[in-house]
Parts: sequence; structure tokens; C-alpha cells
Amino acid sequence: MVSIAGLSAALLVTLLLVPELFGDFAAYQTGLFLIYAIAGQGIGYLWGRTGVLPLGQAAFFGISAYASAHVLLSIQSIYLQIACFCLIVLTAGLLAFLLAGTVFKGRSDSGPYFSLITLALAMIAEQIAGTATDLTGGFNGLSGFAPIAGLDQFGNLYYLVVIAVVLSTLALLTLERLPAGLVARSIADNEPRLLLFGFKTHWIKGAAFALSATLAAVAGILFANHQGIVTPTSSGFLLSANLVIWTAVGGRNHVLGPVIGAVGIGYLSSELRDSVAYWEVILALVFILVVLKVPGGIAEIVTGIFQRFYSFTSHTVSKSVLVPPSWQGKPAQSLSFTGSRVRAGSVTVLNGVELVTPKQGVVCIIGPNGAGKTSLLNVITGGLRLVEGELHYGGQKIHNRPPYAAVKSGIARKLQVPSVFSSMTVSENLAIAMLAGRAGFTDFFKPSTLRWRSQRLSDLLATPGIPLLDGIHHRVSELPQGHRQFLELAMTTASAPGLLLLDEPCAGLSPAETRHMTDVISQFHEANGGLILLIEHDMSIVRALADHVIVMHQGAVLAEGSFDEIRANEAVKSVYAGGTK
Amino acid sequence: MATLLILNILWQVSVLAIVTIGLAVVFGQLRIMNMAHGELVMIGAYAPVMTSLLGLPGYANIVVCLVTVGLIALLMERLVIRHFYGRAFDSLLATWGLSILLRETVELIFGRGYQSVPQYVPGTFSISGTDYPLYRLVVMAGIIPIFAGLYIWYRKSKIGVEIKAMVENPSLAQACGINTSRLSAGCFIFGALTAGVAGLLLAPTIRVEPMMGLDYLIRSFFSLVIGGLGSFEGLFIGVGIIAGAQSTLGALFNQTYGYLFILILSIVFLWLRPDGIYRRS
Repeated sequence: MVSIAGLSAALLVTLLLVPELFGDFAAYQTGLFLIYAIAGQGIGYLWGRTGVLPLGQAAFFGISAYASAHVLLSIQSIYLQIACFCLIVLTAGLLAFLLAGTVFKGRSDSGPYFSLITLALAMIAEQIAGTATDLTGGFNGLSGFAPIAGLDQFGNLYYLVVIAVVLSTLALLTLERLPAGLVARSIADNEPRLLLFGFKTHWIKGAAFALSATLAAVAGILFANHQGIVTPTSSGFLLSANLVIWTAVGGRNHVLGPVIGAVGIGYLSSELRDSVAYWEVILALVFILVVLKVPGGIAEIVTGIFQRFYSFTSHTVSKSVLVPPSWQGKPAQSLSFTGSRVRAGSVTVLNGVELVTPKQGVVCIIGPNGAGKTSLLNVITGGLRLVEGELHYGGQKIHNRPPYAAVKSGIARKLQVPSVFSSMTVSENLAIAMLAGRAGFTDFFKPSTLRWRSQRLSDLLATPGIPLLDGIHHRVSELPQGHRQFLELAMTTASAPGLLLLDEPCAGLSPAETRHMTDVISQFHEANGGLILLIEHDMSIVRALADHVIVMHQGAVLAEGSFDEIRANEAVKSVYAGGTK
Repeated sequence: MATLLILNILWQVSVLAIVTIGLAVVFGQLRIMNMAHGELVMIGAYAPVMTSLLGLPGYANIVVCLVTVGLIALLMERLVIRHFYGRAFDSLLATWGLSILLRETVELIFGRGYQSVPQYVPGTFSISGTDYPLYRLVVMAGIIPIFAGLYIWYRKSKIGVEIKAMVENPSLAQACGINTSRLSAGCFIFGALTAGVAGLLLAPTIRVEPMMGLDYLIRSFFSLVIGGLGSFEGLFIGVGIIAGAQSTLGALFNQTYGYLFILILSIVFLWLRPDGIYRRS
């Protein structure tokens, strides 16, 4: 990647040349497109990184523009004006934070619903703008105010806009290098995994939406200053739609994508709208083509060409930094299910599970497919709700909690199909795992946090036979299945959990890898102690690891005891031989 | 006054129900978040305009409507939608692009201005002293058997079973000899046609213009948020709450309050009851 400073400087120089080369009117026009670009950068960040698409960003843009118009009309002191502008931006951010946090708290996959909510927001904003004549001047809008600090709309105000664009570019580029940016990016990649790491993803989405609303508000304030008039269209549906189109065509995954989109399409539109009658239709077609064929937009094509000539990735292995202790490292407790029942539709998945595990040791859960083994783990980490009965961990009731709560009790989980952040590199995956349960709020904004590596993780990576160190800068999607199993194991054990849940960790591994995996698990258990709950079909692994074996059948515990006891058990034999008891 | 309000609420509920049924089929069964649903309503409402431009008699309205909307839906499905089955979020973006395309095309052909569509069934009918447009009463009376028929058909017919199988497990359904590609296309076109018919029915009672679809999209969508997906019961509960609240608040205060109320209600539902009121177990 080109350095932050280099990219920002190039942008600054290019934009400063516009008035020199093309004259003041071109600068005035460009200024408006750049204002839209700032709002677009907010959309691009939210959409490209966290996968949440705001369809009504003009609501924040327009309301801020109206508020700024009032500020410029009625307040003379420049300091007070600036204070008011700051207040507008903060209010927009706070409202956005609460809105997204609330909607995504109910269910994490409310993405399409959220887009519709924002769309409705813009439509209401436009309606209010058009009808509340006293406040907004109705369809004529608010006008008759001069820009802040006596700046000239057609002259030096352009430089203020340029400063704003460069600053927002700098801020977003910096954010991408910080742990906070990494976490935001991982939401679009694998939100369930992030939840299991204890991140409250609804508030992270809230923060990302707040950032985008903040940028929209800044753009709105600049718009009022730049245009000298604010009308209902600046808060409405059409502007919202255009902002998304510019962002999509320019490229949502790159900070400069929305700038390219807004300025490029802005110019083309102003040139062609009058001469080509079906310009808007062409634009809609281009948008659909981008969605179908080039999701990364123009920026993706440009960076693709760049990378053909020059490889940006650095391969320096950074020195690791000692980490603060995990809050997860709590002594293990005993898990106890009493009369636990789970239903999915008309199917009873767990049918009155009665089970008390020891406090320490490796407990293996075996049983035929559909016996409810994975469901048992899902109840522990909050993916499934108990309709009857209870689940206690130590003295604490832990059933029917949100998935992010498990980490606080010191519970970590590895899923059956390896669940990792596949669009990221191995080292980024490990960095997120190290953040889980350790990072405080400020740590998310320090670059050094990304180099955290605990002693245990370093030891694990150094273990002979673990294939992760060689490919640490490779994308996970390029790794074979076996490597992903080890990666996920490394990530889940990184926090030194008291209770470790492992769902078929040896699935898809070669015999040699299976031996490595069982070695790693027993080494972890020797060093860390605690309780490990392990689902496994392979009896040789069970024999090697298990201190205690639980057999499940048809949603209930059929038998438990030592490996030899289970092997001698008649009921278990009949189940495995195909009988149904 | 009270009679009028009640009749108006009933009218709004019936109309919104026809708009929503198509969206519910497409979103609930195919997981396609069709943002162009409102535009299909809009094109249905333009059908009488097209009929008179073509110089055809009034009763050709329905044919023009079904043919136009059907062809557009077929093109949409073959070219875009079929790549997105089961991917609600991605489909949202693609259909949103389609909605802009449809809107701009209609604007290019018919202009931005309002079109007035003559009343299909003129006259009024007096109910306990209140004169009410006869046309609206006819439509309301006609909707009940249509929905009852759909309900029974979905429950009893072979296609109903095939749709349920496809929703539950598309690859298994395919293995059982169900042509899921054709079935999905059929579902999508059915949803689009109901939207078109809704537009045709609405046309004489509203201002027909290119931007009219958005409002119906949002209201029908919020009905599904509140009522819950996947059942006729949920659909009617949702439609009843949205249309009822909006027309009552609209009559008492103004339209903006009605809009604000349903928005806040939807946010609260997504937060506290993300599956809606009526959840099929």
C-alpha cells in the first residue's frame, strides 16, 4: 500500500492545481463535487468495511445543511458559529450511533432492514423540509446568508473544502491501519466469529454508522456555506441515491473511490445531462453493471493495474509486543445442564439434557449425527435458546445470553467448519484474536496493539508441525483446510479460556496433522488447565485425549464414564450398531 | 366522520395488502429484497396511460398491465435477479439499481409530471349517511375472495408444496425433480404481477408519477417487519398496523406524523422483536 502521507499529499496537490489550471468556475464546480465526495467517503467506509449500506445519507447531510443555514443567518460571532457547527456534527454522530446500535441489537443480520430504515429517514427529512415552512422555508428553502469568516463562495472557500477532503481522507486512511479499523473490517468478513470473540458488533456498526453520519454532516455544513441556499432536495431521496451511485461506481473499498466517483460522474452529468436525454438511464445501467461485474468500482480496476506493476505488500515480521492479561483467563468451573430442552420449528433438538461436567479435564462428547452435540455447544455460547431447563457455569446462569457474553465467563469456542476471517491475512486474524478479551477502549486506537502476541500464542506458533508461521502474510482464503483448523485453534486458545469448546477439531486433517492437533490440544491443556469440551467421531482421538466421555443420543445424554466404561456399555453399543434403543 | 375514517382505513389496508403480498412472496420465499417492487406498482399504474396512448379500449387495461409488468419482470429475473437467490443483501443493491433504471425510463417516456387516470367505476354509494366512492367499495369487496383463494391454493396445491420444499432446501428440492430455476422465476413474476395489478387498481385514486413507487415500497416493507415474514396472518397484522396507524395519524395530524410513527415503530420492532409479531413456528 502507498503510504498515507504520499496518497494524501498527491490528493492535496492535485486539488490545489484545479483553480490554477482550469479557473475559478471549475474550482467552484469541483468544490461542490468534493463536498459530495466527503459524504460519499462516509458511505464507502461504512459499506465497504462493515457491509452496512446506508440508503438515506442525505438525511444527515440535509439536516446539517439546514441547521448550518440557521447558524449563518442568526449568529454573527465566528467562534460561536464554529462551536455550533461542531455541535451539529456531534449530534449527527450520536443519533446515528444510537440508531444503528438499536436496530442491530435485535438481530445482527438486519442489514437490509437497516438500509430501508435509512431510506425512510431521508424521505421523512425531505417531507419535513418541504412542509415545515417556518423552520425550513418550504420549497424555496433558506437563503440570504454569507459563508463563514467572510470567505468567497466562488474563490477561497474552495480551499476550505480541499482541506476538509484531505483531512477526511487522512483520517480514514489512518483508521484503516488501527486496530479499530481492523475490527470494523472483520465485521463484513465474519460477524459470528467476532461475536464469539466477545465483540458487541451492534455497537461497532453503530460507531461506523456514526462516523459516516459525521462525514455527511460535515459535508452538509460545507454545502450550506458553499451554495448559500438549502432546499428540500439536499435532504432527500435523490441525493441519497446519487451518493450511493457515486460511491459504488468510484469504488467503496478505497478511501479515494468516492472522490473519483463524485467528481467524475459529477462532471460528466453536468456536461451530458442536457445534451443526452437518456443520461440518467445510462447512469442507472452503469450502476447495475458495477454491482454485477465490478463490485469494487473504478478504484478496484485502478489498484488492480497498479499492482500488476508493483507489489505493495511488505513482508517484514514485526516484533511482537507483550500483552496485558486476558480477562478471559478465569479458573474453569463445572458446567451443569438441568432438563435442558431446545426446539427448532417442530423438531426437538435437545430433549431434556441432564449433565454435570467435572471442573477440570478433557471431556469428549460422542454420539451419532443429529444427536445434539453441536446444539449443546450452541446453547453454551448463546446461539440457541433453551425453551425449558437451565444451564449453569459455576454458580452463574448462562443460557439464553447473547453470543458476545460467553467470552466474559472465560468461554471460547472453535466451530466445526473453521470460522476465520478469510479475506484477511493470518497475522491479521491472530491480531484480532489477541484483541479479544484484552483490549480496552484506547487500545483500539494504538497501532502497537496490532503487534500484541501472548507467550502462549508465540509458543504455539513455534511448535514444530504447526504450519502457520510460514504463511503468516498470506490471505486465509489461500490456505488449505488443515491450516485453517490450526489457525482457528490458535485464535481460540489465544485468550487462555477456562472453558474451551472444540467442535471436531480434526475434521479434514491428514493423519499426520491429526497427530499434531491432538498433541497441541493436550499441550494446551497441560499448560492452561481448565475444562475442554470436545466433540469427536474418531475413537482413537477420544481414547488419546478423553478423561471423561459423554455419549449423546436423540437430544439427551445416553451414558457417561471413562473411555473403557463407555466401550463396554451395552446401550452405547446398540446405538452405534444402528439400533434406536 | 367516523364511518369515513373507518372506510378509509379499510381501503388503505386492502390496497397495502395487495402491494405487500408480492413483496412478501419475493422476500419471504426467495430472499430477494426487491427494491424495485414499488416501481412495478408504478408501472402498473401507468398501464391505463399506455392503453389510451395505444388507442385501446378501457377493458384492455388489465392485459396491458399484465403484459408490460410480466415482460419487465421476466427480463429482470433472467438478467439480474437469478444471480442473487438467497442473498438478501446483495439483491437489495442490484434491485435498487433496477428501481432507478425503471424510474428513469418511465420518466424519459412519460415525463416527470402527474398523469391523471379516469375512474374505472364512477359514482358513490351511501353507507350510514356517508357517501363513499363506489369503486373503492368494489375493490375492497373483491380483495377478500382473492386472498382467500390464494391462501387455499398455497396450502393445497402441488406448487405450494414445491415452493415450501424449495425454500426449505433448494438443492434437495432440485434432487427431487423440482425445477427450482423455473419455480423461482415463476414466484418472482407472480410477485411482480401482483404489484402491477395493485398499481392498476390504485391508479384512479392517486397521482400517477414516476416517484410514486418509493412510498409503497417502504410501507409494504415495514408491514413485513412488523407482521413477520412467511405467513398470511403476519402479513395482515403488519398491513393493518401500518395502514391503520398511518391513516389515523394522517387524518388527525398530517402525513408526516404518520410516516414518523411507522418508522419509529419499525425501529422498535427490529430492536425488540426482530421476527415480527406473528412468527410461524
